[in-house]
Amino acid sequence: MNAPAHQNDASDVILEARGLVQVYGGIRALDGLDLTIKRDAIHCIIGPNGAGKSTLFKMLMGVERPTSGRVLFNGQDVTRLRTFARARLGMAIKFQAMQVFQELTVYQNLFIPLRRNYRPRAIPDQAAQVLAQLHLEGTESQLVGDLSHGQQQWLAIGMSLAAEPTLLLLDEPTAGMSPDETDLTSEIVKSLQHKGVTVVVIEHDMAFIRGLNSPTSVLHYGRLFAHGSFAEIEQNEEVRRIYMGTL
Amino acid sequence: MKTPPSSGAPSSVLDPYLGLLNGPQTMGRGVPFWVGFIAIVTVLALCPEFLRRYDIINFSNFLISGFLALSLSLIWGYCGILSLGQAAFFGIGGYAYGIVALNLLNSHGNTDVAMIAGIIVPMIFAVFIGGIMFYARLRGVYIAILMLVVSLLIGLFMRQTADPSYTMGAAYLGGMNGLRPASADDPLLPSLILGLGKSVVELDGRDASFYYFVLGLLTVTYLGLRCLVNSSYGYILVGCREDPERTETFGYDVRLIQLSVFCLAAGIAGLSGVLYTAWGTYIHPDGFGVGPNILVVIWVAVGGRKDLGTALLGALVLEWVSLRLVSEGEIALLALGSILVVVMLIAPRGLAVTLGEYFNTAETYVMTRFGSRANKVTGSDGK
Repeated sequence: MNAPAHQNDASDVILEARGLVQVYGGIRALDGLDLTIKRDAIHCIIGPNGAGKSTLFKMLMGVERPTSGRVLFNGQDVTRLRTFARARLGMAIKFQAMQVFQELTVYQNLFIPLRRNYRPRAIPDQAAQVLAQLHLEGTESQLVGDLSHGQQQWLAIGMSLAAEPTLLLLDEPTAGMSPDETDLTSEIVKSLQHKGVTVVVIEHDMAFIRGLNSPTSVLHYGRLFAHGSFAEIEQNEEVRRIYMGTL
Repeated sequence: MKTPPSSGAPSSVLDPYLGLLNGPQTMGRGVPFWVGFIAIVTVLALCPEFLRRYDIINFSNFLISGFLALSLSLIWGYCGILSLGQAAFFGIGGYAYGIVALNLLNSHGNTDVAMIAGIIVPMIFAVFIGGIMFYARLRGVYIAILMLVVSLLIGLFMRQTADPSYTMGAAYLGGMNGLRPASADDPLLPSLILGLGKSVVELDGRDASFYYFVLGLLTVTYLGLRCLVNSSYGYILVGCREDPERTETFGYDVRLIQLSVFCLAAGIAGLSGVLYTAWGTYIHPDGFGVGPNILVVIWVAVGGRKDLGTALLGALVLEWVSLRLVSEGEIALLALGSILVVVMLIAPRGLAVTLGEYFNTAETYVMTRFGSRANKVTGSDGK
């Protein structure tokens, strides 16, 4: 189980959010959030709509700057860094909205992130490896628009993986997926842990979260409401009252 | 260099021989396209043999417009940056060429430096204005409007330079009348005079030599840009067009990429201005107005912004149509506007793009029919 910020061995911690505050007009989307993510693990974040989950990811990835607070990646303060600079340090994200390049083929979608780290000659092999990992073999020449919704979600994850991150943020990776596709996504996420990728997942699908069986944080009104293993969270009466009981 | 495979369409047999010239980011990869391309360039090259001098002078102007269309297609079609002020770089290039040429012609005996200045100065200006726009995270319609305003402001300033104090060495800005020599002792605004070592080649805008030079330069520019957009850089441009936020999450500094292509396009537009000034030996502030800026957008939108060739074709055809209509007065711009409206309704991605896709569909249908019949005749299953 992860501990609150400042109480972990620094080498175990890949990401820390310290006192993150984000104010939109009169609304405090994040209200002094502290969060610590351990290296080489899967970490789940749940909470009701409007709890600040997606806002947190935007802060972590640098898409938006926090009103106050700090973000530390591998001990380095990245609060002022732009998204691309954080990506170069090893952070990647799959946003909640489908973010694939619809007018390009599957291979071309992977070409763009892979080109950051590989010469063009090496890209076909690397793309094949990513596609195999996502069970998308044989789709290289297909236009992304011709893929199923689930396949597009996997491709979006694959594009993030193609950038070879050490930390991957997944915002609702199973949204709109069938149960079979959700199971396969769960396997994909678990397999990443063994490849040295720390994965942070925001998800509403409790069966999916239960399947990951990982440390889970509950956000509520922009604050860390509860933290523990999923079993502990599931038994937490307060959490059931504010969130899980409504599902 | 290995490039990504085509977007759904089958690869061409020419791909291994043409490399980046034949990538999937440009329409036309098969033998019919390249035969057609060579035929068009050949016909254009032969034009001076069978057209009147008046027509050749006009054709030179059409080709000069092609550079401007290519520059807008590059930033709008490939990187998603719509600029309603692309003619500003055209005008800046033209003025820079003229000012430097008037000042250096007597001492240098050629316009080499002026030509380079006509390309570099718009690029420097693009770094300045583009840096502000992209690093301020301006997007979409805001960039389009800002660029139009910038162009209009430059035009407004240039119109007010009739006072003799607006003299830069041998060049007098001249207000509404356009750039001219500062005194009777200074040289006139020259056509292109290329100095190669000790030899000098003069290309008069009214001669076929100038036409050949512009045709060659446009062909090289088009082919060069084809290579660029089919390279890795071209794919990153497309990524920035499709979803800049997503592209940034892969580690690309989208602002820098946008700025770089904006500067490149400014240089190409500047080259267009250089050639225009050398062609007519004049440059005046009207080029910064709304009309010229919107005209570029019409050429590219009607042809098809997402392909260099279709944008180029749009410019050449619509310039020709404009010339045909010019005797009717202001109706030319009205007719072009009407063409834009109709095309946007029936073929929003561009007329040439839509026709090209119909051609591809027809070609695939014919090849499938022909191929299947041939297989039946020969008993081949194609393996």
